[in-house]
Amino acid sequence: MANDGNRGRQDGTSRNASSNRRRFLKATGLGATGLTAGLAGCTSPSDGDGGDGGDGGGGDGGDGGSGGGIPDVIRVGALGPAEAPFGASILNSAELAAEEMNANDGIGGADVEIVTGDTKDDPGTARQRYSEMTSGGEAVDATLGIFGSEQLLALLGNIADKETVHLTAGAATPEAPQQLKEDFERFKYWFRVGPINATFLGDSLIQYAKNRFEDMGWERVAFLAEDYKWTEPVTATINNRLEDEAGVTLTSVRRIAEGTEDFSPIYDQLESENVDGAFTSLAHIGSTSLVQWAKQQRPFGYGGIHVPTQLPSYYAATEGAAISTFSQTTATPTSEVTGQTIPYAEAYNEAYDGFPVYSGYSAYDAMYMLKEAVESAGTVNSDDIVAELEGLSYTGTSGQLEFYGQGEEFPHDVKYGPEFAEGVYFQWQADSEGNGSQQVIFPDSLATSEYQSPPWVQ
Amino acid sequence: MAVSPVTVGVNVLLLGALYAVVAIGFTLIFGVGGILNLAHGALLTVGAYTAYYLVNAGIPVWVTVPIAGIVAATTGVALYKGMLKKVADNPVSVLILSLVAGLIVEQVFLVLEGAQPLVVPGIVDGGVAVLGTDIELNRLIVFAISWLVIGALFLFVNETKTGQAILATSMSRKGAALVGIDADRVFTLTWVVAAGLAGIAGVFLATFQTVTPLMGRTPLLLSFSIVVLGGLGSIRGSVIGAYLISFLDQITVQYVSTRLAGVSGLVVLVIVLLVRPEGLFGRELTEG
Amino acid sequence: MGGETSEAPTADEEFEERTLTDILDPRGFGWLTRLGLFGLLLLAVLPALQGYGFLGIVVNSTLLANITGAMFFAVFAMSWDMQSGYTGEISFGHGLFFGVGGYASAILQAQMGLDLLVTIPLGMFAAGIAGLLIGFPSLRLQGPYFSLITLVTPIIIIGLFRFAPDVTGGATGLFTETLTTGAVEGYVVALALFLGALVLFLAITRSDAGIVLTAIREDELAVEAAGLNPAKFKLFSFVLSGLVGGLAGALFVHTYAGGFVAPSDLLALVVSIEVIIASIIGGIGTITGAAIGGLFLFLFRVYIAQVDLTVPVIGVPIGEIYFLLFTVVTLVVLFFIPEGVITRILVRTRQRAAAREEEDGGGGGGGPDLATDGGWTEGEPSNLERIVATFTEQLRAVLPGFGDDP
Repeated sequence: MANDGNRGRQDGTSRNASSNRRRFLKATGLGATGLTAGLAGCTSPSDGDGGDGGDGGGGDGGDGGSGGGIPDVIRVGALGPAEAPFGASILNSAELAAEEMNANDGIGGADVEIVTGDTKDDPGTARQRYSEMTSGGEAVDATLGIFGSEQLLALLGNIADKETVHLTAGAATPEAPQQLKEDFERFKYWFRVGPINATFLGDSLIQYAKNRFEDMGWERVAFLAEDYKWTEPVTATINNRLEDEAGVTLTSVRRIAEGTEDFSPIYDQLESENVDGAFTSLAHIGSTSLVQWAKQQRPFGYGGIHVPTQLPSYYAATEGAAISTFSQTTATPTSEVTGQTIPYAEAYNEAYDGFPVYSGYSAYDAMYMLKEAVESAGTVNSDDIVAELEGLSYTGTSGQLEFYGQGEEFPHDVKYGPEFAEGVYFQWQADSEGNGSQQVIFPDSLATSEYQSPPWVQ
Repeated sequence: MAVSPVTVGVNVLLLGALYAVVAIGFTLIFGVGGILNLAHGALLTVGAYTAYYLVNAGIPVWVTVPIAGIVAATTGVALYKGMLKKVADNPVSVLILSLVAGLIVEQVFLVLEGAQPLVVPGIVDGGVAVLGTDIELNRLIVFAISWLVIGALFLFVNETKTGQAILATSMSRKGAALVGIDADRVFTLTWVVAAGLAGIAGVFLATFQTVTPLMGRTPLLLSFSIVVLGGLGSIRGSVIGAYLISFLDQITVQYVSTRLAGVSGLVVLVIVLLVRPEGLFGRELTEG
Repeated sequence: MGGETSEAPTADEEFEERTLTDILDPRGFGWLTRLGLFGLLLLAVLPALQGYGFLGIVVNSTLLANITGAMFFAVFAMSWDMQSGYTGEISFGHGLFFGVGGYASAILQAQMGLDLLVTIPLGMFAAGIAGLLIGFPSLRLQGPYFSLITLVTPIIIIGLFRFAPDVTGGATGLFTETLTTGAVEGYVVALALFLGALVLFLAITRSDAGIVLTAIREDELAVEAAGLNPAKFKLFSFVLSGLVGGLAGALFVHTYAGGFVAPSDLLALVVSIEVIIASIIGGIGTITGAAIGGLFLFLFRVYIAQVDLTVPVIGVPIGEIYFLLFTVVTLVVLFFIPEGVITRILVRTRQRAAAREEEDGGGGGGGPDLATDGGWTEGEPSNLERIVATFTEQLRAVLPGFGDDP
């Protein structure tokens, strides 16, 4: 019953470019708007029984509790909202990595197969897809992906019960490593390759503010965060540290409800607060906010973390409304975070006719880290893979990737710091012909340009 | 440092006009034909996406407005003639079918374009300062056009023969038949007008916000509130109701919480239904 | 009141008193009833059949989980039918009750730490109260206006949730505890709920109270003239519907949904509409129609998403557009079989049985048909049509000129 979205695979190696482009350019907003099947199915966390047709224990093809050897085919499950760029990047990057691996002897000689699961940005659907791909004779050996912290948290129990390694790409909540702290043995199969978790994201925003706000002319700042799980630690950090460390005045902190359609009242209020900039943390929502800010030509800057604007086609898609907006991201197609970054982005572009967003970089890295771990362990046994991953130091597209250990604050979370994974800040700038491009503006070591104010702001 | 009342007032003024255009179509269909068209929001969405496609094909936004109106009008008439008319004896079936039809339209766009918000540029760009507030020029234009449309509708219904036919039919079908008015023709015409208005409103809304498959739901709910408040079947009532609702909504959003956007209208709806279901203007019909 | 025509007994006929044992006597069951009972039996023993396969369907935890969900949904549908199908006051927002039940329980548990065995009944009562509150307007308002209120209330609730996301989890949902672990336990709970609700609703609707409700639906004035107070009965049906719907919602959250509740699961318009569709397709005003329609619809939705087909002309895999197809199919069914699938099957069956009896030269009736229809015979207007006729009348009263008199 695993969901095999292998459309591209059916016609041999060449991909159906237009359907993939559609998949890439389409995006979904929010599962919570009722677009998803209302009573989407899911299994309860622990399947006391074997759950499969007659198989005993957790046994399924390829993964043995008894370990021993690498099977002929290694299956990896990729989860994400297929209709959204964040999700499509995950699924596509996994498939891209698998193709590359298969052209080069696979993983330890085994063929790599990707099983995709469309979560529709809904926890219930995510659960069902996960359950489908981890049950039965063709159950996957590991999973990766998931966009959305709500979805990840809904799946933690299942991941623990299935004792199948999972590498998160695209969900930032620190509540996940928190579970490992409380019950390491149960949840140790969870790892996060990217992005850096929300606590670190908050720190990253502070670092950016400290270094750049003065040059940008931002003295009075309002904070706009979407009302989702991942922004909770970020909001706390901003509340506690922004004013002191960045030397600015924080005029208001707003958590924006999902489904907000008219931002004019909010912007009117920001204007009455005389802000120089709207510092954002938006991922699921953010397009309407940005577009209205631009159309209404509000007299303040706009940026921070804004996932929709990371989309390489966003400037064109919004008819230029994205101008001067900036965002933190894992990497951009032209930033040389490591020697791997740009080649990957180029390869992705060639295969899918467009560049990936942040979750794609992490998903790609996750595939290769998995490969290394399996090859070092010589088996697909979950416990052995876990042990290998813990000691791994891998140069990925998003940085030098290592995981925190059991005793540390965020077990199995990707390490944060200049020597590890840090992310970059880019801004949409237009050239003389009116074409937009994402220019890196921070950190200095990777910067290609300086911050520019919105064209209508003095 | 609260937002100045002038800004709020301007918002109320501008939005109220748009809400009125949205609601009038809904009330016309109900007043003339007795159908609560739950696909009304979907017709708006059709207009919005039409504008999006046209703009992407290089057509200027202001040209898309009438075209979107025509496309929506066609869709509306197709909906009526193709489906709703056949079950017109069963208001429950009509309700459910129109609801499902609306859902289908949403789904079609969802499948075609995904749910990520799409952008339609304003009819004009830029802003202008009025009374110390910066106003998006696009909103002013929409305001002006909305009132032109409302005015034209008013004249049409009261002064022209066809318009009066509509009025007569809404008052009494039998009576209208007695003077030789073909109720079905009138009703079809009403659908054209109402759906066309919805389509135009959809473009306006798209320039205010963004285009998404579900964008018609809030306007649909809004129409309920406005039309119940103002009296089902009354154009004047719809306009006044629209301004009242707009006022209430802006006050709530600015001075209570931005999270309560749209809720105040629904609460008003429930209260009115419980206390005075015939609305503020009772059964008093239009501008007779 | 099973199986007979809906003509009122004439003065000469004795109104047949049937005791509970009469009703339950298996020897009197028609074959459709037997089929239904067999189906129930199958549902009951399914968990014990784990690991076995039949015609390509393997009984595993995923299947059990899917059927669990289907049973919950069927209970939702039955609660709607109990209220809207029997009183004729169409509720377009039944998700309110499921949501109140589920959220009340979840919030009480998550925010106040109360035990699930306390919060679930509390959730149920909260929904019952909601039923009462919704019931009152129905007494004063005409049909379409009432429906409008039911449509709008869950949306207001969702708006309030957005207003206080810390308590309610907002639009993204709230985590709470689970009552059961594992697919089997969840299945058992759902099964118990399903059977319980089925029996309860059937008992009521086939009892005197049910007769009165049906009568109210047909002609409220006549009922009043007979000296009964329709308001009491209507409210009763609302409260009952709310209680059961709320209980189902609460149990749903703490078992099948794994301790997670979001507006999109229970409160969203989609849910309310799907419940209506299920009941109408199955046959409004029959309870069994809602049950079967609910089961079928849910499972259809789950499995159609997994079908690996591609729609020919557009080149889009079915999995992506299943909701669209689903709504289109619904439209078609509503158009062509407005009385409901189950009802149509029943009628055909009864026609054939009647024809056969005539051929055999008459003979005693085949015994009362237990619990399979709402007293419908072909040639007479269906339940849906009757409800609709009342609705239309009320609409006419509301609109100044719609219809005839100025």
